[in-house]
Amino acid sequence: MKRILCLALFVLTALPVLAGDIHGKVACKGVRDSSDAVVSVAAIAGKTFPAPKEHAKIDQANLVFHPHVLPVLVGTTVDFLNSDAVLHNVFTPDACAEKFNLGTWPKGQVKSYEFKKECAATLLCKVHPEMEAFVVAVPTPYFAVTKADGTYTIADVPDGTYTVKVWHPKLKATQKSVTVAGATAADFEISK
Amino acid sequence: MNTILRRFSRAFLCLAAALILADAKPAAGVPAFSRKYQTSCQTCHAIFPKLNPFGEAFRLNGYRMPLETAEQVKQKPVSLGAEAYERMWPEMVWPSDLPGNVPLALNVKMANIYASSVDDTGHQIVHNDFQFPQEANLFAAGTLGKNFSFFGELTWAERPDGGSDTEIEHARLDVISPFGPEHLFNFRIGKLAPNLYDGFQEMWLMTDNGVDTLFTYNPIGFHGGTGLSEENAGVSLPQGARAIEMYGVAAHRLFYTIGVATPIGAGGPNGTFGSNSQKDFYARVDYKIGGMGLDGDTTGVQLPPENWREKSLRIGVLGYTGDGKDVNFDITDEEGNPFKMQDRRYDRIGLFASWYFGDLNLFGVALHGTDKLALLDDQTLAQVGETKRTYDSWFAQADYVIRPPFQVSVRYENLRVADPTIPSIRTLNANFSFLIRANIKAMLEYHLDLRETQNYTLATVLRFAL
Repeated sequence: MKRILCLALFVLTALPVLAGDIHGKVACKGVRDSSDAVVSVAAIAGKTFPAPKEHAKIDQANLVFHPHVLPVLVGTTVDFLNSDAVLHNVFTPDACAEKFNLGTWPKGQVKSYEFKKECAATLLCKVHPEMEAFVVAVPTPYFAVTKADGTYTIADVPDGTYTVKVWHPKLKATQKSVTVAGATAADFEISK
Repeated sequence: MNTILRRFSRAFLCLAAALILADAKPAAGVPAFSRKYQTSCQTCHAIFPKLNPFGEAFRLNGYRMPLETAEQVKQKPVSLGAEAYERMWPEMVWPSDLPGNVPLALNVKMANIYASSVDDTGHQIVHNDFQFPQEANLFAAGTLGKNFSFFGELTWAERPDGGSDTEIEHARLDVISPFGPEHLFNFRIGKLAPNLYDGFQEMWLMTDNGVDTLFTYNPIGFHGGTGLSEENAGVSLPQGARAIEMYGVAAHRLFYTIGVATPIGAGGPNGTFGSNSQKDFYARVDYKIGGMGLDGDTTGVQLPPENWREKSLRIGVLGYTGDGKDVNFDITDEEGNPFKMQDRRYDRIGLFASWYFGDLNLFGVALHGTDKLALLDDQTLAQVGETKRTYDSWFAQADYVIRPPFQVSVRYENLRVADPTIPSIRTLNANFSFLIRANIKAMLEYHLDLRETQNYTLATVLRFAL
């Protein structure tokens, strides 16, 4: 009986931590739809998060970067695959990503870069000037990208009060404080 | 000598008028391809219309990307038959497709031309004209199913007298790799810029002026050719030709073309038809060392991401031969007596070289021409004489990319005409180009007659493509 009571107590205390999330909608004004906004929890004082060993991936296929916006935890290495029969290049003009330039490489090959700092890096291809993508390196593993309707969900966020930031390739960034207690809704509106 | 120079000063003014004010400068980038592939002009052009190595491969491949996949074509083509119908041929029509959108593009050119020359009395004559617009080009270009491509250009140009000219500059159908190894056998038929001039015909130059000393030399004259052609004069090489051509790329780096064309005759630099019953023949063979393969192959090659750069050398030989029998040109001797002249046989042989070293592209052509000229009685057309004349023409051009939006070019041209009493024609052409946007270009171009430094033109050109 004691064991059952202890287990019930443990479940009751642990449940909010396991089930917390931040969800909601980002209304992107002045753009075609509300996709590609990155919603993330800002740095949490006293907490660091080890970078994942698994690499994130961006593909270059049919002269388009896939995905267009990729949020990662700071320290993550991103692999850039060329799936086209033509040469591609990836470089960034942003200092926060050391203005890296990975050169050119043919179909099937991969080049990688580790995003060491918090950064919203614009990715470009010198061979095909119309190609553009973004890697957004954030300090916590709590992030999500909005769908076309603006909805997002950041899962597994421990209860607490956080600064939640919103970044978008074309719109002004915003942020606000959100107190997470279980499933927590947080809506945003961003514009030019 | 002063008389000769004055005579050529006048000729220069005529040419400035004929070539700059009236003559159409064909072609530029073709935005229809940007729409089709949803890609930038700079995928294929260093600064339009000059092609970068990838653009050259795209062109030679019949306006298809190397190893193109259906997904790369963002405007889905309209099917004119399922692929399975190929197996049913000839019971059914072989399938094809149409471009997803009407494959048209427009290029508009506006220019301010400041032209200076010296007349017979030594006075300087200046024209300073707003030519807004100077010309507009309507392009149609694309692919028709697996093995066919097409290219057309209709040019509308304003004349100095306020009138305008409309010309079909290009209208051709290409058959791309219908058999054999890929890239090796391709065919083109129509009115076209022969691949004989690949890399230096004006439709592939970044400058506003073409290489006139190479293409518009007039070999007809009592003592051989004396200068550049005016309207209805003979030309040394046709910029455009009505031709059937075969070309291909072997082992990624060996380029060849052979063609048969309607003979050179009266009618200006774009050739004529109906001149006589003969045909001209031309051929060219090139080899490219280093850089991207001529078919777009990059195997084993490390190329920089700046797609206008590479380290390569392309060298080639080219030849053109024909028979101008029965094509009569009016000439006079020193006393003014009229005669007819026929260029019974003309042979041109030349060398081409193009060296890319990073941001610099240095290229040029040296051409030797031989003309067997028959002198005929003006009335009876009885032959009264025959001479063999030669001329030499060469140019060297350096194009340099300062930064992608800013590029410069300098070209020196030299033409030793056949008439030994006439000094060589030497010109300098300097260009500064500024890509205001990917499809809007401004140019400042200075063209100087080095024999008489008061003969020059300064052109400010604005052109845009959509």
